[in-house]
Amino acid sequence: MTVDLSVDLGRGLVLPNPVGVASGTFGYGFEFEELVDIQRLGAIWTKGTTLLPRAGNPPPRVAETTGGMLNSIGLHNPGVEHVATVYAPRFARWRVPVVVNVAAGSLEEYVAVVRRLDGVPGVAGIELNISCPNIAHGLDFGRDPAAAARVVEATRAVTGLCLVVKLSPNVTGIGDVARAVCAAGADAVSLVNTYVGMKIHLGVRRPVLPRAGTGGLSGPAIKPLALAAVAAVRAAVRVPVVGIGGIASAADALEFFVAGADAVQVGTASFADCGAALTVLDGCAEYAARHRLERLTELRWTPPADRAEPSAAPTSVR
Amino acid sequence: MSTAAAPLSDLGRAADERGEVTAVEHLGGGLMELAVRLPHIAAAARPGEFAQLRCGPPPLPLLRRPFSVAWVEGDICGFVFEPVGEGTRRLAALHPGDELPALGPLGVGFTVPAGGRVLCVAGGLGCAPFPLAARRAREAGCAEVLVLHGAATAARLYPAGRFSRGDAGIRVVEATDDGSRGHRGYVTELVATELAGVAAVWACGPNPMLGALAAVLGDAGAALPPVVEVSLEAPMGCGFGTCLGCALPVRDGGGRFALCCREGPVMAVAAVDWEALALLPPAHVA
Ligand SMILES: Cc1cc2nc3c(=O)[nH]c(=O)nc-3n(C[C@H](O)[C@H](O)[C@H](O)COP(=O)(O)O)c2cc1C
Ligand code: FES
Repeated sequence: MTVDLSVDLGRGLVLPNPVGVASGTFGYGFEFEELVDIQRLGAIWTKGTTLLPRAGNPPPRVAETTGGMLNSIGLHNPGVEHVATVYAPRFARWRVPVVVNVAAGSLEEYVAVVRRLDGVPGVAGIELNISCPNIAHGLDFGRDPAAAARVVEATRAVTGLCLVVKLSPNVTGIGDVARAVCAAGADAVSLVNTYVGMKIHLGVRRPVLPRAGTGGLSGPAIKPLALAAVAAVRAAVRVPVVGIGGIASAADALEFFVAGADAVQVGTASFADCGAALTVLDGCAEYAARHRLERLTELRWTPPADRAEPSAAPTSVR
Repeated sequence: MSTAAAPLSDLGRAADERGEVTAVEHLGGGLMELAVRLPHIAAAARPGEFAQLRCGPPPLPLLRRPFSVAWVEGDICGFVFEPVGEGTRRLAALHPGDELPALGPLGVGFTVPAGGRVLCVAGGLGCAPFPLAARRAREAGCAEVLVLHGAATAARLYPAGRFSRGDAGIRVVEATDDGSRGHRGYVTELVATELAGVAAVWACGPNPMLGALAAVLGDAGAALPPVVEVSLEAPMGCGFGTCLGCALPVRDGGGRFALCCREGPVMAVAAVDWEALALLPPAHVA
């Protein structure tokens, strides 16, 4: 029995396998191309791309914490024109699907970036980042279900590409935002983006990161939080869910499938081990074969219904 | 990122290696030296380049740490460090025979002149790249390498004999903040009188020291040597250009930031925006 690892995210975006690499942790793939076999990946989710090039935030931009890292990169990227004209032709020659992560500070900017990428060979899909914690207005769209829905509606209108909406965990009801973006036309959702965090340097009695002192927390430290968020979103929507947060091993990834994910992204782990995502992929395939699973989604756990009746003796079984 | 103006490090020369510790040495004053069998990096490393060492199995510490390749003997690489944080404390606890995975060589190193004198300016742990760099300069035909090495106290100086390794063409002049050995004061104060006939100045140390050096050289005006390069530091997430964490302010307009791990760590002194760099908190804070 061969395991079918492919994942259909909708609108023609079929990932050859469920293990991709997360936005902002893999650039646009070119550095890793020199270090590991990127063509075996399920997908490359690119660095957040904006309408115009952005220089990013002043340093320091990263700080390690216990089992995690904080970043405040500020969407340092070459802008959509460069991505569409210089990078995309290179993506088009790859076997691995490349999903461009799109970030913006306004509704108009989201629309302009997505419109520019629509129909560009090499661009397999769009991941709409409504959840960047490191730019002004970055989180505004992701926090409010109505605002999130407006961004999705407006971008949906200008592209036939698969639209995956990346959700912020820095909200009260992530399920509500998920429902709103799906109603507005999202083909799939991905989560989580980073959690707002802070590291303090006691010696100088101030945060390590500049400006407001906050950054986005990623890495193993956030995995339990991310699993809970994925389970909450799984319970809220029917579209495919891409699980992200602290995945560094096949076991980590498999836990996300149990929680309700259809695919996963490996992020921070790639920094310490360039082949981390490939190791995760091989481990998942091996697990599926060993446990005779036809699809990894068979691992999915179904939570007890919200207001379950007090359990009665099963009368149908005698 | 490919929007960068300067030449980028060649990632095609980097490789992952398992690494095996062959020696761990205390040099006194808190300095330590590690010898690691890393055949690829030993063969490929150029002066000023670095390796990303996995100091322990993640998640503690989560990220690799960058270290200059201090010296190379056969298939062994040397690294100099001080156990001050999560990663370096784990390095200090290693024993011969332990595994130490590494990725390298990474970054852009020093430009080696084909002859003439080379002046190395090493502040504190900034001594790290110079045993290898001095040797390569001599092999390339440089008549003399003068290492100006400063530290807070005599105990914290990297032993002079480890720069020269028996080569009389490599001289070391020392300075200490407290005057416990050599010149009393900063090592940058020794630079101005040594510039005559110098083909290259290479400097490594804390960013404020490099800023002070840039100021000294600025005052020297027309007498500047053809190559003046500094090795900078920045907190790094990956070491190979993907996290965009290691930004440094540079002068080439537009408020662009350079990536220390790919356009550096060695950069021309004129490329750095020293005013902006001076306003940043010291790298050790992160
Ligand atoms: C340095 C860094 C940069 C990131 N940049 C982006 C980005 O541009 N767009 C985005 O949607 N997410 C970005 N992320 C978030 C990751 O894609 C991912 O959601 C998060 O890191 C959690 O996964 P992990 O714990 O596996 O890293 C970034 C994360 C890191 C660590
Ligand atoms: S350390 Fe990641 S880009 Fe330089």
